[in-house]
Amino acid sequence: MKSYTLRASQLVITLGLLFLISGCNPTVTRVETDSVTDLSGNWNDTDSRLVAQEMIQDVLSRSWLSKFNRDQGKAPTVIVGTVRNLSHEHINTRTFVADMERELINSGEVEFVASADDRKEVRSEVKEQDLHASEETRKAMGNEVGADFMLQGSINSIVDAVSGEQARFYQIDLTLIELGTNRKVWLGQKKIKKTVEKGGFRL
Amino acid sequence: MLNKPTSLIKKHWYNNQTLKIALIVCVGSLVQSCASYGSHATSMRGGLLAGHAEASLAIAEEKDKQQKEVISSLDKGMLRRITNDYSGSNQILEVAKHEIEALHGVSITENLASVTINETLRGYEGDPYEQLLLHAYMAMNYIQLGQIDGARVEMLQANVKMMEWGEEPEEDAFLRYLEGIIYESLGEFDSALISYRKAYIVYKEKGGNQYPPAPVALKKDLLRLLAWQGLQSEYKSYKKEFGMADYSPVKQNKDFGELVVILNNGLAPIRSETAIPIFSSEVQQNLRVAFPIYKYPKQNLFSPQVTVNQKQYSLETVEDVDALARYSLEQAMPGIMLRATARAVVKYNTQHTAQENSSIAGLLMTVTNLITERADTRSWTTLPQEIQLKRILLPVGEHQLQIKMLNVAGNVVDIMDEKVVIKSQQPSFVIKHWNAPVPKKIKIIADKQAANKN
Repeated sequence: MKSYTLRASQLVITLGLLFLISGCNPTVTRVETDSVTDLSGNWNDTDSRLVAQEMIQDVLSRSWLSKFNRDQGKAPTVIVGTVRNLSHEHINTRTFVADMERELINSGEVEFVASADDRKEVRSEVKEQDLHASEETRKAMGNEVGADFMLQGSINSIVDAVSGEQARFYQIDLTLIELGTNRKVWLGQKKIKKTVEKGGFRL
Repeated sequence: MLNKPTSLIKKHWYNNQTLKIALIVCVGSLVQSCASYGSHATSMRGGLLAGHAEASLAIAEEKDKQQKEVISSLDKGMLRRITNDYSGSNQILEVAKHEIEALHGVSITENLASVTINETLRGYEGDPYEQLLLHAYMAMNYIQLGQIDGARVEMLQANVKMMEWGEEPEEDAFLRYLEGIIYESLGEFDSALISYRKAYIVYKEKGGNQYPPAPVALKKDLLRLLAWQGLQSEYKSYKKEFGMADYSPVKQNKDFGELVVILNNGLAPIRSETAIPIFSSEVQQNLRVAFPIYKYPKQNLFSPQVTVNQKQYSLETVEDVDALARYSLEQAMPGIMLRATARAVVKYNTQHTAQENSSIAGLLMTVTNLITERADTRSWTTLPQEIQLKRILLPVGEHQLQIKMLNVAGNVVDIMDEKVVIKSQQPSFVIKHWNAPVPKKIKIIADKQAANKN
């Protein structure tokens, strides 16, 4: 009986110390931005990057681009519409859309016009110029370039879960729609599947 | 020869003594951080009950600056909501979500602590109903921020959570109802129908115990969507089940939109600590154990009344948090008592051995055990007592809306005025929290001060 209780009180002290230790400083390690860091199994930068890569490769290699070039003799102008998040996570869709935009603009094959929100700010600036800027630097209203295509899309997810285990499936669909005719000229799709296991015990 | 045993005893006593002092210091600091939730909650709720939500928020924000405790984050989230800081509320509730996730799995140290020291050393991850309401309140925050897609995400996360809980998931009726409303506002009628159906099943199965009886509004919503989706046989069978033979669903009409009023009324019950002696057959002794109880019965709520376009509507209770909280404790009680008994035996034994070594050590151990024997009174006490709801079809355009709070005698104790813009075939939400009328005195003083300055 005695040895049992002594162990109990020692245990109490060990526990107490463990709790006290737990308030340590964080450690920081810098890693490459293209390294895979899966922490919680949630949507992360790696997923976003994979989607952007896949979509960019696909959109630049398809026939809509050469066809437009041939027919119109210029690079198509694209506007980014909304990419709706219909998944079970709060996902910032802007990161991979921005990645795509950058790659497409830099490729020189596609031009982009500012999206509805960005335009508002630019327009108010042009309006300001009308009043305050000198005549030779003043930009006139009504010279905006109308887009030929709009990029829209959605992220969907299916999650199957039992206690401590999850299978997550994400599907990202992007569509390029010709303005005026509403023709869909390109459909991009990327699927990502992960399994997440949570430990049954912790300290 | 004679000296030797005494010095041995002395040495032994000394060692034990340091051990005990170290123990008291360790445990004392631990107990302070956790066990004071009850008094903290009481002072925090005091602000709300006096109509000073900002005072409550200030008290809550002072606690747990490292944002490690789920319970503190939940309270902060609710109080930030009440004081109209919806994005701040979501930010801290997201922290709570992560901390709950981190508490997944059986903790070895915490379980040992709960049978040697007390229950408050177990990580608090919230009861299932609290975890689901966390998603419901985040969804309401997103709705009030105008981000309905964000609200949809919260509903899906709640779904994953329920899925993880197993075969017979702990469904929450209000969460399902809210989910239906969110789907419906996004035009996803098929999903909305499923949610309404699930909500109704929970009300039907558990109504009268943890849940209020199925709201008439939900029955109408379910019938309406069944009719819209053309599921005639199910429509007829539910109509029969509800005894609503006269009901005919409204047609989809571009000139109308919906007003959804959600009122978070009152405050959830608060747990108190009590102690009883229980007889342990193992040590043949009466041992003192502490455990949580709900000391006070359910409070009487003020009843809300919505006036819009000269018409008056009363709200229906869609979630009875009071009942959920009491039921949850009832369910947890056998486990709590089992651990309490085990703990009492361990504590008795430590006292007993300490006493054998020296009377001071024994006394110290007794005091330590008495101090550390605390009940776990943690629960999300800034939740409302009830959630009440009303959906009203209104013509498109701006409307003045008044929510009156009536006491038992039918006298108006408070009036809230709201302006709401109804959009075609879209719901507009008015979500309110009410505990007490905001004292007018303060306003008069503030006005006077402003006048003096001028």
